[in-house]
Amino acid sequence: MSRLEIESEVTGNVWKIEAKAGDHVEAEDVLLILESMKMEIPVEAPCAGTITQLLVQEEDAVEEGQVVVIIETDG
Amino acid sequence: MKAAVLREQNTPLEIEEVQVSKPEPREVLVRPVAAGVCHSDLHFLDGSYPYALPTILGHESAGIVEEVGRDVTYVKKGDHVITCLSAFCGHCDKCLTGHLSLCQSPEVSRRADQQSRLHQNDEPIHQFLNLSSFAELMLIHEHALVKIREDMPMDRAALIGCSTTTGVGAVFHTAGVEPGSKVAVIGCGGVGLAAINGAAIAGAGQIIAIDIVESKLELAKALGATDIVNASSGDPVGEVIEMTQGGCDYTFEAIGLKATAEQAFKMLCSGGTATIIGMIPVGTMVELHGVDFLAEKKIQGSNMGSNRFRVDMPRFVEMYLSGKLHLDEMISKHIKLEDVNDALDALKTGQEARHIIMFD
Repeated sequence: MSRLEIESEVTGNVWKIEAKAGDHVEAEDVLLILESMKMEIPVEAPCAGTITQLLVQEEDAVEEGQVVVIIETDG
Repeated sequence: MKAAVLREQNTPLEIEEVQVSKPEPREVLVRPVAAGVCHSDLHFLDGSYPYALPTILGHESAGIVEEVGRDVTYVKKGDHVITCLSAFCGHCDKCLTGHLSLCQSPEVSRRADQQSRLHQNDEPIHQFLNLSSFAELMLIHEHALVKIREDMPMDRAALIGCSTTTGVGAVFHTAGVEPGSKVAVIGCGGVGLAAINGAAIAGAGQIIAIDIVESKLELAKALGATDIVNASSGDPVGEVIEMTQGGCDYTFEAIGLKATAEQAFKMLCSGGTATIIGMIPVGTMVELHGVDFLAEKKIQGSNMGSNRFRVDMPRFVEMYLSGKLHLDEMISKHIKLEDVNDALDALKTGQEARHIIMFD
């Protein structure tokens, strides 16, 4: 197991949170959806693991490179 | 209603029955008459731009108002409209300083806790760019459409909804091309051809069209290109610099690749400006030679032609009807919604101009 920080690839706003701390997620599961330049951009889990911290809330502004979720990876 | 739903990237769109919600106070229900199949749709289909799924693609359309929300006064049932993805709030810093296409306000969308505008039974369907025009009905914010005169053909009007506004707008608004200047446009798809047409309208002295498909270069000449370069044999930078005797005042990249964005910068003369219109995939970095900045060469992005579409689009309609703006040549085929995957496949080959979906 290792700690993995998941960053936003774009500057925008958090439109919808799709997961919560404690959830177990699989690779490509949608964790949250950002709205940026009129696009709804999903932030997905890069691998299976458990969400330890969700660092943003709906309607928060986020910057490119900002850590939005931390997961503890499986295995 | 029927709609073409994208459920998984790199898979065909599925024609499905989808429901549309009732209009909220500031929303308008539009029955599209025509919708263009644009190369940008492909970027979201292939995942180079990630998008929340399931969604209904399509963002270039013209139609007729079917129903309006109780606070809408700008349009009424029966009005002819063009839709635009640059939905603006009208009161943020960007809007109030005249940069409506850069408005980031989320208030033109529904909030996550509201019923989705589009859904299939209980499953929400994400609206694509606040539009989703590959569908028999569109429920959009009142600030995502503009009224047009009723004698404007709807298939041509649909093109104004994206490719024309993006290409011509990049020339008029983002770059501000001056009469007599030297211009090069890399990529002669719908947007690139619109940029060429726009440069001709703006009075550019030399307009060089660059592509690897001969038929598109011929079309570029018909739309105003003074010179053409077939780049299939290699890097076109040297040829363009030679043709212009030192480089261009303005270059436009209308493909969305690192290599062509870098070429657009290298083709500039001192003081020139490169405008990147194409959608370069998320995560791609562009490299420039730092010393070129001493020659005051500039590079900038352009989103939807830096539009003020409620002003621009009616003007483009007039330009078409007066013969200045060439839209007839941009349409290669009229199709049905059910044929949308064929149109997307045709776009991948790069051989054809636009397919337009016509709704009954």
